[in-house]
Amino acid sequence: MSNAIETHDLRYRAGRDFEIRDLSLAVPTGSIYGFLGPNGSGKTTTIRLVLGLLRPSRGSISVLNRTIPGESTAALAETGYVPERPHLYPSFTVDEILNMHRAFFTRWDPAKAAQLVETFRLRLNQKIRNMSKGETGKLMMLLALAQRPELLVLDEPTDGLDPVVRRDVLMALLEFVSEHGATVFISSHLVHELERICDWVGVMDDGHLVAEMPMQAFKSGIKRLRVENVPAIVAQTPFVILARDTDALGNSEVWTVRGWQDPMTQYFEGSTPSLREVVDLDLEEGFVELLQVARERHPEG
Amino acid sequence: MLRIILYSQWKWSRGWLLPVAVVGFAIPYFMLRVGYSGERYWDAAGLLEQVAAWGRGYPALAAAIGLLVGTSAWIHDHRGDHVYALVLPTPRWYYVLLRYTAGLVLLAPAMITVFLGALTATWFTTLPAGIYAYPIQLAARFMLATLLAYSLFFAIASGTQRAAGAVLTIVGIVVVTQLLAGIAGSDLNVLEAAFDRITIWPGPLEVFVGRWMLVDL
Repeated sequence: MSNAIETHDLRYRAGRDFEIRDLSLAVPTGSIYGFLGPNGSGKTTTIRLVLGLLRPSRGSISVLNRTIPGESTAALAETGYVPERPHLYPSFTVDEILNMHRAFFTRWDPAKAAQLVETFRLRLNQKIRNMSKGETGKLMMLLALAQRPELLVLDEPTDGLDPVVRRDVLMALLEFVSEHGATVFISSHLVHELERICDWVGVMDDGHLVAEMPMQAFKSGIKRLRVENVPAIVAQTPFVILARDTDALGNSEVWTVRGWQDPMTQYFEGSTPSLREVVDLDLEEGFVELLQVARERHPEG
Repeated sequence: MLRIILYSQWKWSRGWLLPVAVVGFAIPYFMLRVGYSGERYWDAAGLLEQVAAWGRGYPALAAAIGLLVGTSAWIHDHRGDHVYALVLPTPRWYYVLLRYTAGLVLLAPAMITVFLGALTATWFTTLPAGIYAYPIQLAARFMLATLLAYSLFFAIASGTQRAAGAVLTIVGIVVVTQLLAGIAGSDLNVLEAAFDRITIWPGPLEVFVGRWMLVDL
């Protein structure tokens, strides 16, 4: 499988206190890759590195089989970008910014742009400075999609939008992906939103990639087990124990585990500890557990 | 691409481009017409004095136009941290070239109106004997000064805050050195030396100083 985005051993220092380090990620071509992480974890900086807006001090980046930053112009011609903060000229009208984009992007699709103007109910003569946050979010998505990109890089595209606008924006995105088969690299801290649309997930924390895996593996493999009669030393398990917590009465433990599969219940049969309950974790709970474990392992950050 | 970049800069600067063009056209008129009542030879000295006084407006106008067009080319990109420009599929040098070229086009109306104003004012004025008009030379000098000012401010405005800080630091060091020299009773005149260095040939700003005479001996 080829990758639309690949980074190897990426390092970038942003200021005195924050550093992206040893970042190796792979976004499979055709996937919708959710890039999760708490605020300040390095998602936006990573995106800016991937787009060639920042230069790494070490490591390599490839986007659509082009080396970044050397071939970033060619890569950007096939990449639609929705930034975290809108950067459009406030004095421009919607029509003027569409014309600006059309002049620079050779793959610009006027019919798609016109269709999205109608779908999003945008007014062509409205100035960007007078647009609401929702309208600006829609316009940013319109500009990215009408470029007919091979790759969409979306940095918190629905952050701060109301549920109706969020649904409109995501619907337009999914419709485009189903029509064109583009790769989507979408960062967000709205975990539930990504859970619905992504097939791959990467989790950033404090400048490094904590996990990267198919969404299905992430969702199904992380469980909370309630176990009893836990010996002092637990034998080798077929799954990874991420965290162990003793319940209030001290009779049982709650294990957060990764790599769980149903046949693994056999591990508990006829031995201690004994398994009482398997609880599914949704993506958000799994995400929180993953971060807690990562922070316990790297308390210095 | 140039057309849309030109349109953007026109949109951001059109509010003051017309007034500037009017001023450029009007200065020659005031130079020659206001307060000048005849063509007698004893009026010549007064005329030249008046022309020299109004002539100071030209370098000021050139600097103002350069400042306005040069900074307005970048101010909107600065506000968006240049993200919009940087994600356009265009080499950075080419984007800078587009912005610079668009600015040059916008300078043209002011240059043309100064030339037309100088030509018109001298055409309709009867000059005293021994006094000659130099509208083409004045317009050419104005063009050179405007281009220089524009290029300078364009370069400064395109830089980062760090670059602007470096320029201000150098200026600050010169001023502080001058102050310290004054306190110490030294004859050292850093400011004057620096001013001379940049305004006396081959100093880069030589075109701005001296007399800007539409008519002269």
